[in-house]
Amino acid sequence: MKYILIFFISVVSLFGQVKADDVKSFTLKNGMKIFVLEDSSIPNANMYFFYNVGSRNEYIGITGISHFFEHMMFNGAKKYGPKEFDRVMEANGGSNNAYTSENITAYTDWFPASSIEVMFDLEADRIEHLNFDPKMIESERGVILSERNTGLENNPLEQLWQETQATAFVAHSYMWPVIGWESDIKNWKKEDLENYFRTYYAPNNCVVVISGDVKFNEVKKLAEKYFEPIPSGPKPRSLHTIEPEQTGEKKLFVKREVPSPYLMITYHVPQSGSEDYYALDLLNSILSEGESSRLYNSIVDNQQLALEVGSMYPEAFDPTLFYFYGIANDGVTAAQLEKAVLEEVDKIIKDGINDSELQKVKNQKLMGFYRTTETINGMSNTLGTYELFFGDYKKMFSAPDDYKKVTADDIKNVAAKYFTKQNRTVGILNTEEAQ
Amino acid sequence: MKKYLSTILLSIVFVSITCAQFKLPGYEVVTLDNGLTIYLLEKNDVPIISFSAVFDAGAIRDGAQNGMASFTAEALKFGTKNYTKNQIDSIFNFYGSSLNTYARLDYSGLYTQFMKDDLEKLLPVIKDVITNPTFPEDELIKRKQRWIAELDQAKESPRQVIGAYYNKFLFAESPYGNPVDGIKKTIEQIDRVQISNFYLKNIRSESCAIAVVGDFDSDKMKSELKNLFSDWRVTVPRLIDDSRFKKQDLKESGVYLINKDNATETTFMIGGFGVPMSNKDQIQIDVINTILGGRFTSWLNDELRVNAGYTYGARSRFASYKTAGTFYISTYTQTKNTEPAIDLAIKTYNRLFEKGIDEATLKSAKNYVKGQFPPGYETAGSLAGFLTQKYIYGLEDSYINDFEKTVDGMTVDGANEIIKKYFPKDNLQFVLIGKAEDIREIAKKYGKVIEKNISEDGF
Repeated sequence: MKYILIFFISVVSLFGQVKADDVKSFTLKNGMKIFVLEDSSIPNANMYFFYNVGSRNEYIGITGISHFFEHMMFNGAKKYGPKEFDRVMEANGGSNNAYTSENITAYTDWFPASSIEVMFDLEADRIEHLNFDPKMIESERGVILSERNTGLENNPLEQLWQETQATAFVAHSYMWPVIGWESDIKNWKKEDLENYFRTYYAPNNCVVVISGDVKFNEVKKLAEKYFEPIPSGPKPRSLHTIEPEQTGEKKLFVKREVPSPYLMITYHVPQSGSEDYYALDLLNSILSEGESSRLYNSIVDNQQLALEVGSMYPEAFDPTLFYFYGIANDGVTAAQLEKAVLEEVDKIIKDGINDSELQKVKNQKLMGFYRTTETINGMSNTLGTYELFFGDYKKMFSAPDDYKKVTADDIKNVAAKYFTKQNRTVGILNTEEAQ
Repeated sequence: MKKYLSTILLSIVFVSITCAQFKLPGYEVVTLDNGLTIYLLEKNDVPIISFSAVFDAGAIRDGAQNGMASFTAEALKFGTKNYTKNQIDSIFNFYGSSLNTYARLDYSGLYTQFMKDDLEKLLPVIKDVITNPTFPEDELIKRKQRWIAELDQAKESPRQVIGAYYNKFLFAESPYGNPVDGIKKTIEQIDRVQISNFYLKNIRSESCAIAVVGDFDSDKMKSELKNLFSDWRVTVPRLIDDSRFKKQDLKESGVYLINKDNATETTFMIGGFGVPMSNKDQIQIDVINTILGGRFTSWLNDELRVNAGYTYGARSRFASYKTAGTFYISTYTQTKNTEPAIDLAIKTYNRLFEKGIDEATLKSAKNYVKGQFPPGYETAGSLAGFLTQKYIYGLEDSYINDFEKTVDGMTVDGANEIIKKYFPKDNLQFVLIGKAEDIREIAKKYGKVIEKNISEDGF
């Protein structure tokens, strides 16, 4: 989801496909904010719930509980007991899913528009009356352990990612994986879940987005009937931990049998919406979007040093990491791959980027935006993500100016400012450590 | 028990959902003198265009050279008469787009999506990629080396490769057993002459279809495509290779045990032969499979995930090809749960034959597939996909236009007939990827075991 917002930002006011006026919103008395976008291109609709809680809200001993909680939201409330949420939804033509990140937890229902009232009923029940059946907690623990295990089993990069995060951060809760550590998954208690529910799952800590073949007035009426009676809760305590400045390069090694080494390099960078966000985000695309991007063109295609290479700048409420990653080609050492990536970084710091690259990135964002607006699902997810990470969905209409302001020099400058040796963590995963 | 009953009642009480009947938008189809088929569908809600081309050049045409179709599809982008590889990549990326080529078992293809204003700049490049590839030697050598390393890398993920093992186990040496991305030995042998030959033989106007969907004027688009593609003629005679897969009955249960020494979980598939794409009961089969393993509350996911906590997800699927098909149950579990998880999967599957489907469950599944159907055809890309599939598999528009009617027409008796007719009951085939040392004895329980190491080349 991380790229979608930007697409929105860069084009909305320029091309007039979606206007601020097309998105209507209201806030219920309990503080729940609801956005509605009418679109009748297919006879379907969706409902997104964005809760302002993720693994950054956890502490040692309950790591992974935000994600576990996400699973428990499907395991029974008052009117609809265990398994009924899914059964009733599917019997009414709907399906659902959810995701948890370091920052937020999002729930989605996709359904034929004619079933909308059932969706309201199901969601209201679990938001107000979630129940924790001890049997469901235990079977869900097994599910999560399987989810964690299968991720690590099938993807060495995931293992390296976990270890690199844990090394790069010393204070902030971004240091642990969203899925949590195994011993915590095995040991958290029912009380921990109840406490989490009370703290974070109040309507005033949630943003709702509904798009599709719906009418604003009907949605408002249903929201007032089903969601407004849910009592609001106290505002959750905000996080105060600030990651201290990194004072020197860190290196780590993860031992695992693999055909060729895996590499991850991170730098501490500011959060979404910050002053340098737009320049860093364009830099991310220049580095790794498409076959003509700096990293792919040089390291995979021309030099044949890697099978895969990429970069990532995730959305985040707090200062986060800018990631580089790669899988070495057969016979290439981790050190060779690391050198090649750092050379590309240095080239940008030293020589900057050219105008054609800047124009390319803007075109890529525009195209990405169009792809997003093709589906009602893309619209809902984008709107909600924007509202949460940039504070106000309307800000997206002023954002094109922020993007336009970014110059080739700005991109060169942020590269020089953040991609320093002192600010760097380098992780290598391989069968044997190099001598 | 009470909760369970009340759920069933709830799902009966809800009326059968009725969406506004979802229809395939109108489109035009043109055949050029050289046999090229073109589908045009205007869709103006977003200013973009999806372009999809398919060729009768899938991996079933590989012969002994596994991976040939897939490698050739990618090599189309390595350079053409008028553009180098770098130019092709740069032009598409500059306009915010990318050009993708791929191969499947039955066909290969090219797909891209771009802003309508960039049509004039990109169409000539697409034309050159399809009709004038030069397969430069240096690019082939570079890609071959990485391709081989990628084949090793893919085996780090059992979930990524289990399908290739499964098809190999079921279809053996017949074309549907061909691993689409090839094996190290055959990729090593591929050279420029073979690629050119494969291209000339299989990627040709008379067995190619192009579908363009998006924001354009059909008449203008038609004349542009005619101008560009009318001169595409291949003089090499076409070989009509109509080799069809002849389904043979499986005489006994078999287990293909793939050892991965460092595995901590067992990834497995269970099943047998399915149905070809031409089967007229596809939609009904899908509805039944939705109940068994096609949605969250499906029997398999409910038992293996929700009740037992063995896995993050369990599902079942019919994979259909032009003249063959497979059916499989698939999931994964920690090594220590291998036996109870497989037993539970089989027991749950057998409920289909022992108890069959009841009215409430069928109604729920019918509502589900109807409700989830329209988003599958919401975008220009998915509509272009349908039109090219229509060409390859001879699908009728009624697949979309009568979908709801077909689903509504299903009865409990009809559903149970479908189960008997199409779901393989006996002599099930198993593929297990895991730590053989720990699961070898368990594997024997399910059939005759053939064991292989995952590091061994091929599938």
